[in-house]
Amino acid sequence: MKRPAYRFLPDIALADVAFAAKADSPGGLFEACAKALTEVMVDRRSVRPVVEKRLKMKTSDIDGLLYDFLTQLIVLKDVDSLLFKSFEVHVSRDGRSLVCDMKGDTIDRENHRLRNDVKAVTMHMFGVKHEGGVWRATVVLDI
Amino acid sequence: MPVPPQTKQVSEVIWEIPVSYKQGMNVPARIYATKKLLEGMDQGVIEQVTNVASLPGIQRYSYAMADAHWGYGFPIGGVAAFDPEKGVISPGGIGFDINCGMRLIRTNLRLKEVKPKVKELIDLLFQLVPTGVGVKGFVKVNQPGFEEVMRWGVKWCSENGYGWDEDAKMVEEGGFIKGADPAKVSRQASSRGIQQLGTLGSGNHYLEIQVVDPSRFFDAKMGKNFGLVHDDQVVIMIHCGSRGFGHQIGSDYLRIFDGAMKRYGIEVRDRELACAPFSSNEGQDYYGAMACAANMAFANRQVIVHRVREAFQKVFHRDPEALDMHIIYDVCHNIAKVEKHALDGATRELVVHRKGATRSFGPGHPDIPAPYRQIGQPVIIGGSMETGSYLLLGTAKAMADTFGSTAHGSGRTMSRTAARRDVNGEALQKSMEKRGIYVKAATYDGLAEEAGIAYKDISEVVETMHTAGISLKVAALRPIGNIKG
Repeated sequence: MKRPAYRFLPDIALADVAFAAKADSPGGLFEACAKALTEVMVDRRSVRPVVEKRLKMKTSDIDGLLYDFLTQLIVLKDVDSLLFKSFEVHVSRDGRSLVCDMKGDTIDRENHRLRNDVKAVTMHMFGVKHEGGVWRATVVLDI
Repeated sequence: MPVPPQTKQVSEVIWEIPVSYKQGMNVPARIYATKKLLEGMDQGVIEQVTNVASLPGIQRYSYAMADAHWGYGFPIGGVAAFDPEKGVISPGGIGFDINCGMRLIRTNLRLKEVKPKVKELIDLLFQLVPTGVGVKGFVKVNQPGFEEVMRWGVKWCSENGYGWDEDAKMVEEGGFIKGADPAKVSRQASSRGIQQLGTLGSGNHYLEIQVVDPSRFFDAKMGKNFGLVHDDQVVIMIHCGSRGFGHQIGSDYLRIFDGAMKRYGIEVRDRELACAPFSSNEGQDYYGAMACAANMAFANRQVIVHRVREAFQKVFHRDPEALDMHIIYDVCHNIAKVEKHALDGATRELVVHRKGATRSFGPGHPDIPAPYRQIGQPVIIGGSMETGSYLLLGTAKAMADTFGSTAHGSGRTMSRTAARRDVNGEALQKSMEKRGIYVKAATYDGLAEEAGIAYKDISEVVETMHTAGISLKVAALRPIGNIKG
């Protein structure tokens, strides 16, 4: 499997942050998106993998699943003060459910290189596509 | 940005894109801008303001103010009014940060008294008002208490020791929007917001100590009505919103509306414009939840005001009342409200969406607090931390032309990623200090993203609105100290 990848799109939604992600599997795509989202909030290299958490989610389609998954990561940051370094995501064959094992840490203002407090995942340009064997997503985050 | 050839110049600062520009537009789009500002706007503004013009039940025009820039769904700087029966409500026309807004507090202190103590003040405020990623506030409430915050906003704060009785009167809507319904708020939204009262957030949010700029105190006579009696008087400006609470309500209802649109036969050009008829169950539920977030945002700014008063009291050893630390005003700039406006020869109720736009009601409007009712509503325009902000006045022309609306800030011209690439946060902090602005930020990256070069020229934005007559200049406010998330 090729490494999942993401890149930030500096010319879209100036006050916010946009990124494009791709991978050769839905799980890889979700992992790339989770890493991109987290990089907006913190330099992931500064986060230690000392807290483990498993997320299970289910919804009606793969777009909704990605939206809810990323939103849940923002919720965990606000409610439980958790930021994650690594993600291992398994998306079901029908694209409607996932299990994600994550490792991270509670927010530590001394040792984490914190960045922006992401407000929400928007639906502007949002969507998951599967073209030519590659899974792609575009995400715009409200900052 | 290439301006569409169909664009018609209506006046020196008003441009109109006709309905023929794009299939499905129900009304023309109007952009308030000088030629320079118009040509500098990004393509997203044109796309988005004309997408909004295509929404069901929109009235008269889809507006983009002079600070407009590419947002999500609506442009930032967008205004649209909808018929409450045939029209819609859209979370993308409000923003996730429901009731993000500005509050301005005055003092009777002058620059020479505050300047020597700015560092002490800013350092203390940085301790008292948490900023940045994942911070918690100092106000502890349980779920029933938080539901009271959702219902009563500033009133709850004053009753619980976080403000003066008079404070609510000097806040838009008297400090709480009616119709808040905590039953329409998800458990997850409450859990995100319950620990965040009194926090600033990050991004472009700030708490700033400012001074009336003597060379740009445009209307000193009007300024006296707001308690600005000296041309170097010190004021404090707060810019923040409903934090994770409002963000989650926006996310929850965006998903609900995304699914509901099929049932109502609504098609939109951008999923972020997901909407529902205002009169539908989904529309009414969202309005009830949105009002909860709006009231939480009013309360959040109020709790921060309480901290600001504490900080000034500690540093100046004087009671906040003796320091005349009254609220000049508080405006929402991410909101939808049911308001009465003149339209087609009648007075009609409309659902006015303002996303990155400020209410600008003119003289005599009953919703303006009594001390200002005869002169017009104070309008607070927040600029970048380097270039300063403005206090303006609402007008009858805004009532007639823009459903009582004007701009909200300077508007970005550079993305966050580009600003971080081009600006060194630490160097910027030092440079600002040399220029008399002491800034303390949660992160250098966050500071770099908010550099003045990332924004339009706020003076040109304000001048545009002044020329259009939809808000009039009173005073420019120059920053001397700032805390950022």
